[in-house]
Amino acid sequence: MPQIFDPGADTVVRSLFIASVGGPVFFAVLAYAIVRSPYSTGQDVVVTQPVPFSHEHHVAQLGLDCRYCHTQVEKAASAGYPPTETCMTCHSQIWTNAAMLAPVRESLADNKPIAWQRVHRLPQYAYFDHSIHIAKGVGCTTCHGPVGDMPLMYQAAPLSMQWCLDCHRDPAKNLRPKDKVFALDWRPPADQIAEGHALLTQYGIKPEHLTDCSVCHR
Amino acid sequence: MTDLSRRRALKLLSANIALIAAGCGKPPQKVLPYVHMPERTVAGVPLQFASTLPLGGYGRGVLCSSYDGRPIKVSGNPLHPASLGSTDLFAEAHVLSLYDPDRSQASRRDGEITAWESVEGALADRLEVLRRNDGEGLRLLTGPLTSPTNLRQITELRGRYPKMKWFVHDPLADVSALSGAMLAFGVPVEAFPLVAEADILVTLGADPLGPGPAQVLNSRGFAERRRVRRGAAAAGRLYALEATPSQTGAKADHRLTLTPNEIVAVAIAMATALAAPRLPDANLSAALADVVAAIVGDMKAHPGRAIVLACPSLPAEIHALTHWINHALDAPIALRSPLSGTGDGELLDLVAELRENRVDTLLISGCNPTYTAPGDISFDRALLGRARLTVHHDQYVTETGALCQWHVPDSHPLESWGDLRGVEGTASISQPLIDRLYGTRTLTSLLSGLLGQFDAEDYDIVRATWQERGNNLSDADWRRALHDGVVPNSAPETLLLGPPKLPTIAPLKPPQASTLLLRTDPTLYDGSFANNAWLQECPKPLTKEVWGNSLGMNVVDAQRSGLVSGDTVHLTASGRGILVPVRVQPGHAPGVMSLTLGNGRQRGGEICVGVGVDAYGLRTVASPWAVEGASIARSTKGLPSYATQEQFVIDGDRDDIFPTLVLDRLPSEPPDAKTSSVATLLPPHDYASADARWAMTIDAGTCTGCNACVLACQVENNVPVVGPAEIARNRDMHWLRIDTYQLGDDDGRVGFQPVPCMHCETAPCEPVCPVGASIHDSEGLNVQVYNRCVGTRFCEANCPYKVRRFNFFGYADGQEYKNLGAEIMHAHNNPDVTVRARGVMEKCTYCVQRISEARRQAEKESRPLRDGDVTTACQNACPTQAIAFGNLQDKDAQVSRWRDQPQHFVLLSKLNTKPRTTYLADVRNPNPQLAEAKGP
Repeated sequence: MPQIFDPGADTVVRSLFIASVGGPVFFAVLAYAIVRSPYSTGQDVVVTQPVPFSHEHHVAQLGLDCRYCHTQVEKAASAGYPPTETCMTCHSQIWTNAAMLAPVRESLADNKPIAWQRVHRLPQYAYFDHSIHIAKGVGCTTCHGPVGDMPLMYQAAPLSMQWCLDCHRDPAKNLRPKDKVFALDWRPPADQIAEGHALLTQYGIKPEHLTDCSVCHR
Repeated sequence: MTDLSRRRALKLLSANIALIAAGCGKPPQKVLPYVHMPERTVAGVPLQFASTLPLGGYGRGVLCSSYDGRPIKVSGNPLHPASLGSTDLFAEAHVLSLYDPDRSQASRRDGEITAWESVEGALADRLEVLRRNDGEGLRLLTGPLTSPTNLRQITELRGRYPKMKWFVHDPLADVSALSGAMLAFGVPVEAFPLVAEADILVTLGADPLGPGPAQVLNSRGFAERRRVRRGAAAAGRLYALEATPSQTGAKADHRLTLTPNEIVAVAIAMATALAAPRLPDANLSAALADVVAAIVGDMKAHPGRAIVLACPSLPAEIHALTHWINHALDAPIALRSPLSGTGDGELLDLVAELRENRVDTLLISGCNPTYTAPGDISFDRALLGRARLTVHHDQYVTETGALCQWHVPDSHPLESWGDLRGVEGTASISQPLIDRLYGTRTLTSLLSGLLGQFDAEDYDIVRATWQERGNNLSDADWRRALHDGVVPNSAPETLLLGPPKLPTIAPLKPPQASTLLLRTDPTLYDGSFANNAWLQECPKPLTKEVWGNSLGMNVVDAQRSGLVSGDTVHLTASGRGILVPVRVQPGHAPGVMSLTLGNGRQRGGEICVGVGVDAYGLRTVASPWAVEGASIARSTKGLPSYATQEQFVIDGDRDDIFPTLVLDRLPSEPPDAKTSSVATLLPPHDYASADARWAMTIDAGTCTGCNACVLACQVENNVPVVGPAEIARNRDMHWLRIDTYQLGDDDGRVGFQPVPCMHCETAPCEPVCPVGASIHDSEGLNVQVYNRCVGTRFCEANCPYKVRRFNFFGYADGQEYKNLGAEIMHAHNNPDVTVRARGVMEKCTYCVQRISEARRQAEKESRPLRDGDVTTACQNACPTQAIAFGNLQDKDAQVSRWRDQPQHFVLLSKLNTKPRTTYLADVRNPNPQLAEAKGP
């Protein structure tokens, strides 16, 4: 009787065995990597805007406060986007003919809002509230990154649930004193752990409550 | 496609897959800020405005929440004396009606859409002629109107067209009450009972706790006399003598099921016992005479604090007689001139004029006579064809609208300026919460057009009313009235009239073999709310019926005819017949059947057409509420009938589930929480250190089953409608249901038990969830995590209280019932609550979004949460304030105090679930003289 399998058949079978175990693992790891990658989270992706507004110029160089434009950040869930007239407080006086500001002028003239592209986007089942984070000493740059160094805005953090929980489980590492919440250049001091725990008590934050599902999902 | 080779097809397929994989990102989202930001707006934070919503012509003051310009929730205005901070189901449901895509959106001529200008042109041409002949032939037909502005406009209209006539058609009008008052006092008078001041309330078929503009006020008044609290027990007593079951009868301390004839006899006997001369003999049976003697004794023992109320189906003489009785008792009843204008007549008078060709131009607004007219009036095309010009004005193209030459769409109350009076007389302003969605016009605007000003602004017209002599409001007062939602001191004065005349009462007629009593529908009212899916799917208080109505009768009558619930019969009354399903229901007198009005619409929207049967045709002008000599015959046809009564049954001993107590025999201390010490396998939770332990206590004693909470919950929490087919599969989605329990044997008294999620501390739903979607938070809320839920439904099966609801389909997410998925319908959703997708479990959350909002607010202000910071939607709506919600860590919180009451109990306590929702048992206060004979 002739040989049915040639000597290479063993190798094929062995590879198939390895692939049947390793293949799913490989694809699972690959899928996880894709989901967590900036490609999927949108992290570090610069979004093209109708007006190339530079936070670096306005906030770091000119020294505008965050709240000059994001007026309701201390009052409401949404930080608020500035109406056209906020832009025009200055730009009716300076750079009045700049080509890059044409959409702003058109918006005012036609009474049509400027259609900004959203940069930070949370799923609709996550009920994030800016105001409570500000009230409890979480600074703007903690989540939004070095805004003062961004000529064009991008999403600095992955905004994944794991990333949210990182801080909700241990907020002390990110807490700032009240007067530093809007500071662009805040860096954790050397004794941040001790400082943070003191602030936890001062702000009355109970981290054990912060990981309840009902805190963010309703 | 023939030249597509296999190779090329594979190429295209792989290219597609590659494209899908590469392009599988989130679509970009745009943010559109304002150009000019309006003052006071904070995006995403709702603003509240006071307004007034109409029901039967009367207003109920409300506070409307507007979320980024969209009205999404209505709650009661605490400053308004006819709402006292509570709502009814109709007010709550207005939010859905506003966005109803079936609303009429354009003017029409003979059914075809036309421009408003052509209506205006046609009217202006006619008005030119009418002006020359003093308005001869100008006729106005409206629903009941209390609006000071509309009444002022009609007075002006009469000045301009002296020969015009205004008719009022209210299908739910209590005609007997008005003529009874005429008999008693000789002038048209409205009697307004002050239920809150009545220690003894005796209803002769009347249903003060039933649906209507006074429901909230009456229910609150009833609860004030019924609320049992340690050291401050109100000892009110309610006797209901009625032929068909009602919400009032359900809550009675003594309910007697009597035939209409017996009720008349009882009224006569009561008057006789109060020394009324010249009355015919009542001929009561000995047992009934004893009961009447006890009731009269009780009333006499409470001088100035007892009221007798008669129902619309009793003859005018008996209404006059109750006026006499109430006068003899010095009853707390306010007499006043009717708040709604009475006009020059009713529908019947208009029909006579139409038949005599005396109508030239007819404007019909806010009523639907083709549908609501009694069977002996046919308000049909031939009749309407006798007028030269017919204009119909309504929010929908109704049965009447389809027969008129012109149709003008009416604005929704949430998008119009106006004013209304509450049942107790106080006027309040309606202000728009949103600009008109379509090219609609209000009655105010149309009347102004008849006065020659088609382009006047509603605001200016309403403001002008409140600048007249007598009602002059300064600009500051006007703004205050708008802000508060009440015009202070605007209620008309009560009349001081002489003693009522004792009417002449004819000797009693021999009893009729069978009588059909017609009743207001508890969820659809007169039928004008029929296109509201929330109201169609709201279980009726006593029968739990949804999507339709049925003929109620008692079990003896049903057995005699060989009928059971669900059978279909041919019902003949006043010479007309309809097919109707039967429902056997305790509390019907022998030979008495009941049927609700407001169902069986022919036109008026996708939701309402063909649901239920129309009972208006069985009425007669002479006797609109009672039809004598009705007969039934079994039919082989089957009509569907849906009820949620048996859908979620709690398994257990009736007396444990719904205990009833007697006021005199109330234990002095709360019975030990019958929590068993059975060991539990669940991990222990320690809530002692939590900031809050949220809990709810519901007072079954004051719950009247009105459904305001059910609707409020539905609006607040985006609870979907499933439609009749899904209801038939037991898939009702309401987060809060009201269970009913029959008390006594067939005496028609019912206990109501609202059942939301119990938020058990050792919750049976949690350990069975394989994915941890049902878990506890640190404050003891049993939360459902929609994104984790994979739809095993184990939790639902393991919940002993049956409060979990499963999305078998995308009821709110792409597979909506009929028009509920229309684009505009998304606008009613509360953005603070997730709209659930297909395949996930959901249930009451204790309004966790409100808890979170209050907690964040308190933390931002660096203060602890106070009692009352969080109110759940159901608690907020409740007319009798039967729901307490709060933090058990606060020993002084209302919910903690309620738990200390002697009638406090825990539902299914022996299961050791430690629920956070608990109850105060239904406590009744029977008359000791009658208690032996008929205890609760």
